[in-house]
Order: sequence, then C-alpha cells, then structure tokens
Amino acid sequence: MAAGSPKIPVRFDKIQKYFGTVKVLEEFDLDIAPGEFLVLLGASGSGKTTALRILSGLETATAGRVLIGDRDVTNVLPKYRDISMVFQSYALYPHKTVAENIGFPLKVRKVAKAEMNSAIREAAAQVQLEDLLDRYPRELSGGQRQRVALARAIIRRPSVFLMDEPLSNLDAKLRGYMRAELKHMQQTLGTTTIFVTHDQIEAMTLAHRVAILERGVLQQLATPAETYNDPANLFVAQFIGSPPMNTVRGSLEGRHFRTNGARIEAPVGGRVDKAILGVRPEDCSVVAPARGTLKGVIYTSELIGDHTLVTVDNGHDKLIVKAPKDFNGNQGDAIGVALRREHLYVFDATTGKRIR
Amino acid sequence: MSTASFKFDKADRSLMERLFEPPAVGKISPAASLVAHFLLIVWSLFVLFPIYWVIITSFKNAVTVNLGPFYIPFLDFQPDLDAWRTQFNTEPNCNFLGIARQFGLFFYNTFAVIISPLAEIQPMDPQICKIYHAFTNSIVVSIFSTAFCIAIGSMAAYALARIQYKPKFGNIMMFVGLTVLVIFATSYAGVPWWASSAVALALFFFLVRAFGKHFKRSLGNGDILFWIISQRILPPIVVVIPIYIMFQAVGLLDTHLALIIVYAVANLPIVVWLMHDFFANLPIELEESAQLDGATRLGIFWEIVLPLTRPGLAATTLLTLILNWNEYLFAVFLAYAKVQTMPIMVAAKNAGEKGIFWWEMSAIIVIMIIPVILMAILLTRFISRGVLLGAVKG
Repeated sequence: MAAGSPKIPVRFDKIQKYFGTVKVLEEFDLDIAPGEFLVLLGASGSGKTTALRILSGLETATAGRVLIGDRDVTNVLPKYRDISMVFQSYALYPHKTVAENIGFPLKVRKVAKAEMNSAIREAAAQVQLEDLLDRYPRELSGGQRQRVALARAIIRRPSVFLMDEPLSNLDAKLRGYMRAELKHMQQTLGTTTIFVTHDQIEAMTLAHRVAILERGVLQQLATPAETYNDPANLFVAQFIGSPPMNTVRGSLEGRHFRTNGARIEAPVGGRVDKAILGVRPEDCSVVAPARGTLKGVIYTSELIGDHTLVTVDNGHDKLIVKAPKDFNGNQGDAIGVALRREHLYVFDATTGKRIR
Repeated sequence: MSTASFKFDKADRSLMERLFEPPAVGKISPAASLVAHFLLIVWSLFVLFPIYWVIITSFKNAVTVNLGPFYIPFLDFQPDLDAWRTQFNTEPNCNFLGIARQFGLFFYNTFAVIISPLAEIQPMDPQICKIYHAFTNSIVVSIFSTAFCIAIGSMAAYALARIQYKPKFGNIMMFVGLTVLVIFATSYAGVPWWASSAVALALFFFLVRAFGKHFKRSLGNGDILFWIISQRILPPIVVVIPIYIMFQAVGLLDTHLALIIVYAVANLPIVVWLMHDFFANLPIELEESAQLDGATRLGIFWEIVLPLTRPGLAATTLLTLILNWNEYLFAVFLAYAKVQTMPIMVAAKNAGEKGIFWWEMSAIIVIMIIPVILMAILLTRFISRGVLLGAVKG
C-alpha cells in the first residue's frame, strides 16, 4: 500500500479571507512538502480551520491562490480536488452501515461492486474495523466512529488528507492511542496530510512541521523541536509547552534583565524598557531562598507523578517550576528559584518579538 | 441556610405542599395531574364525539334522524344500512370494474389534454357510480398533487437552505415592470401575447446584463422564504375567480389536471416552509463530506439528505395529503361535474328544499375518513424515529 501512494505538494499563495468585514486570514503563505505531515496549530478563531476549508474548496478565498501539486485549484469544485477530509464530528452517514460509509467515495465514482468490496475490506483492515462492517454508526463507540471516518478518507487514496481536529471528541486515553495510529498510518501511506488542531501536544507528537497561526497570521513554521526550543515570538513561546513557558516582566539593560529588584544575567544584550523574560518550567529549579536568582513564596504545589509543579509568587509574577517528585513545601514558605542562563528567552513586551 | 427549611420527611410537609409539589424531578404534582387528566378527558370527548356521531348517523335513516336525537344504536334506535345502500346499490357501475375503468380514463384524459395542442382526442366520459367516481377522483387528485408538491417543494426548500441567493431588487422590479408592459401591449395594443412576451423576455435579459451590476440592494434567502409563505397568507377565495378564468382560457376546467396543478401550487408554500426547517437543521458536515467524496448535488440530496429528513418528509406529506383530500373551495369552482371530489359529494347531500340528508352525508364522510386514517398509520411509522443518531459527535 505504501508503495504507489502519491506524494503531492500543497501551496497556499497569499491567501486572504474575509467574512464580511472580518479578516480571518491575512496574506497566508504556506508551502507543504510532498508527503509531509503538517499541523496547523492555533487557538479557536485563529483561522486554521478556515485555511483548511479553503484548501478543501468548501470555502472560497477572497484573494490568493491554492495549489495542489502543480495545479491551481483556487476555483475548482471540492470533488475535483482529489482530497479527502476527516471532520471533527466524523460526519458519518447515520443511515448507512460501516461498509456503506467507507465505500461511499467509491460508490459515487461508480466503481465496480467486486472491486469496491475488496477496497472496503482493505481500508477497514487498516483501521481494524473488519468485524464491524455491518453495524450502523449509532452502534459504535466514539473511537470506532473515528476509525470509520479515517477508513472512508483513505479508501480513495487521495493526493492530500485534511483533518479538522479529528481527535478532539475522543476521551484522553483513546486520543493518545489514535494519535499513534494516525502517525503510523500517515508514515505508511506517505500521503501529504494537513492536520488542524488547537492541542499543542497533538501538534508536537504528530507533525513533521508545525504552522502556528494567530489571528489569521502565520507566527512560525518549523519542526516541533524548533518551535519548542527556538520560538519566534512570545505567542509561540507561550502556546507551545505544557505547562506553558513562564514569563517575568521587567526591563533589559545591557547584558542584564532587571525585575522586581533582581538582576538576571541575560543571554542577549540591548536596551528595552518593557521586556519579558521567558523560561520553561523544566529549566527552573527550586533552591534555598538565599541562593535563588528570584525569590518568592510558594503559591501552590501539585504532585503530577514523576515530578511536582511548584508555583512560586515573587510578588510580581508567578512562575511554575518543575521540581523533583519528593519536593516538600507548604503554601507560604519562602523559596528561591534558580534559572539556567542558556535556556532564557527575552521578548519585547510591546511587540512580542524575540530579542536575539 | 438553616436546616429547618429542609423537610426530608413526608410528614414534615403540609397537605397543600404535598398536593402542589411534584413528588420527583420529571414528574408532575398530584393537583396538576388531576387538572391535566380532566382537561385531556374533556378534550378527547370533544374530539371523538363528532366521529362517533358521524358513524352512528350513517346507520340511521330518514325516520331515526328526524325523530332523534338518538345516541346509542340498538338501545335508542335500530340501525340499518339505508344510507350505505343508497351509495352503492341504487346506481349502475358500482363495481370494481368501474373503478379500474376510471383509473384508465384518468390517464387517457390527461394524455388527451397534454396532446391537445397537437392532435384532437375526444376525452372519455366516466361510466361509474357517483361515490366511486368521487372517491377515485379524490385519490388521483390528492396523490398526484401531493407528489408534485413534495417533489418541487422539498427541492426548493433544500436549495434555499443550502445555496445563498442574492436577487437584485432592481432586477425584480424590472421584471415586474416588463410584465405590466406585456399585459398592456397584449390587451390594449393588440400585440399577440407570444410576441410581447418574447420581446419582454429578451429585453429583460438585456437590461439585467446592462444595468444589473449597478443595483445595490439585493434580497436574501430569508426574503425569498417570506415571499413564498406570503402566498399562503392570501385567502384562497381572493384568487379563485382569476384562477377559474385562467383555466377557462387554457381549456382545463373540470379536469383532474386543473385540480392537481392548483392543489400543488396552493400547498407549495407550506411544504417549502416546513421542509426548509428540516433541511437547515441537518448537520452540514454530512453534505460537505459527501461533496468532498465526489457526490453531485442531486446525489447528495437523494442519498444523504432525503433519507435523513424522512420523518419530516413523512409529516409534511401527510399534512399536504390531508389538505388536498379535504379541499373544497377550488374543487367547487374548478370541478363542477366530471371530476367531482369527495368534499363536494358531502356538500351535495344538502339537497336544498328537501333538507339535508344527514344519514347519507355521514356515510360519505365515513368513507372519506378511512383512507386518511390508513395513510396516517402508514406514515407515522416514519415520523418518530431518531434517524440522525450517530451522525456526529461521539
């Protein structure tokens, strides 16, 4: 199956989209490599679903072009774009059996019955649904419905897969399982896939590259590791990572970052009156008050299992620190936070841009 | 809050509280239950008594009706079959052969009307007793008009639910203006109707191409929908005479076709209005998914949308069928002799100076009720079923 699968590039070329006077996408440029698993990540209202729908043809762009392969499909009907889509709600046909649902794309193309049946069987086998072919969607669990939707998407071997938050209706455990399944399937088929989600963990685990959108503007397009270790701006820094990156308000003066009476050696130099220092919880550590770069009191501490999250209030900001699981401290205890210099990020507070 | 206000034990509560408070969530209080049952019983009597009365009256005769009122058969009066015999036994051709011939006649005469501009075919005359005649007429007219009405209406409703129309207000006004001009040209200037219409149509397309883009104001789907339902606000009696004249002009008076067309048009607004709501409430992802899977718009309508709106479709069909079955006003004007329907038969039993033949009228009414009940039983099977279960979400 992996062999003959087409690997097709996709390109958004200066796409603009307005709903009335509301701007949803602004000069949206995105090149997706053949066979790539690209995740469009953003909060609700960021324009990620709109971008996907413009690619699918269900929505038309106000300006700009969409290219699939080397064909300009901007004004092509959805059914001629050779794409298939998995919807957040799965969109299964409730009056058709699992087999009829999976076979629908072939049925409308008038594929011969025998050929269709073997294709249904093959697609169902890929998502472990062989035993449920005669059931109706209402008789299936959420995860099984999700797999029917996947099988319906893969049966046709389209050039591009579109997935609109396909995992968000599943419970946490199943989501993790389906995530792995999805990644494996995409790797096997090698079909270009565009996956929309608001869940940064899905983005990190699935993507070859992540495109982070905010208010219709592309913030960063990079591999998951790059978005995590080298965020382009404050928005990306705070969006990626769980718990999110800590931010400390202050000012950058020369090689030092000054906040609430503390002076922190910064990785960059410059002079910015309103700056933000970013540091990830795992790059902080709790120490005795006297030895900490920042001093404060324990606001709360939460045992996660393999570690403890300690929230420290320094009177100005709250920082989450990833501490060892045997950390013991009570609310209100004085405590110090040590920061690792090589893992600090400085942002301009007014523009949100990273200061490098 | 103090615990004193909680009355966990039944004994703590007063009689009034126990009467007027529901015993559990999702139940109604004893007092409300009493009132509800009383009202329901009164309502049922109100609804069922006329049916009972019609049925027993159909087994009365002139004497038992005029000496009445008698309420209980065998006790109050001796039922007999006089009224029924008058319908079925006194006239010729009251047999199934008559019915079969009548259906053949329907298709033959419709064909004759359709082909009349090309060739002259003499329409057949019915040879059947009155009651069968009216019954077959009613069946043919209501089934065909309902079928047309549902087919056209549901497609229109689907289009209005899923496609955004923006007719320009100026274009509509131009069309209206040209229509008025055609009427003037035809009736005052003696221009043949086909010539004036053709010129007006050509002019309309030209004007729309030339000036259409300059018009700013346009209407939306909501306006179109309101325009359609507004056709129904007009009382039919207002338009019945113009409609009579129209059908007279095309020579369709007293034909099945006339009734079918008029009934279909008259009920179209109701079908569009009702079905629009059912279509609009379908999750659009199903259709979008089918669209991406390669289905055509008509294919999606037929294979995805219609099966999923079956309950609504069945309810609308039933409603339209009943409206058509009971229609009287248009039938009186358009079907005075050869295509009389059941409601006209009923009304005809009010025989002027001889008084009203209540017993015969009741017999005809009973015959009229039976098919409606059968249809209702048949269609309710489709009405209450959760077809959308499992479509979206987990």
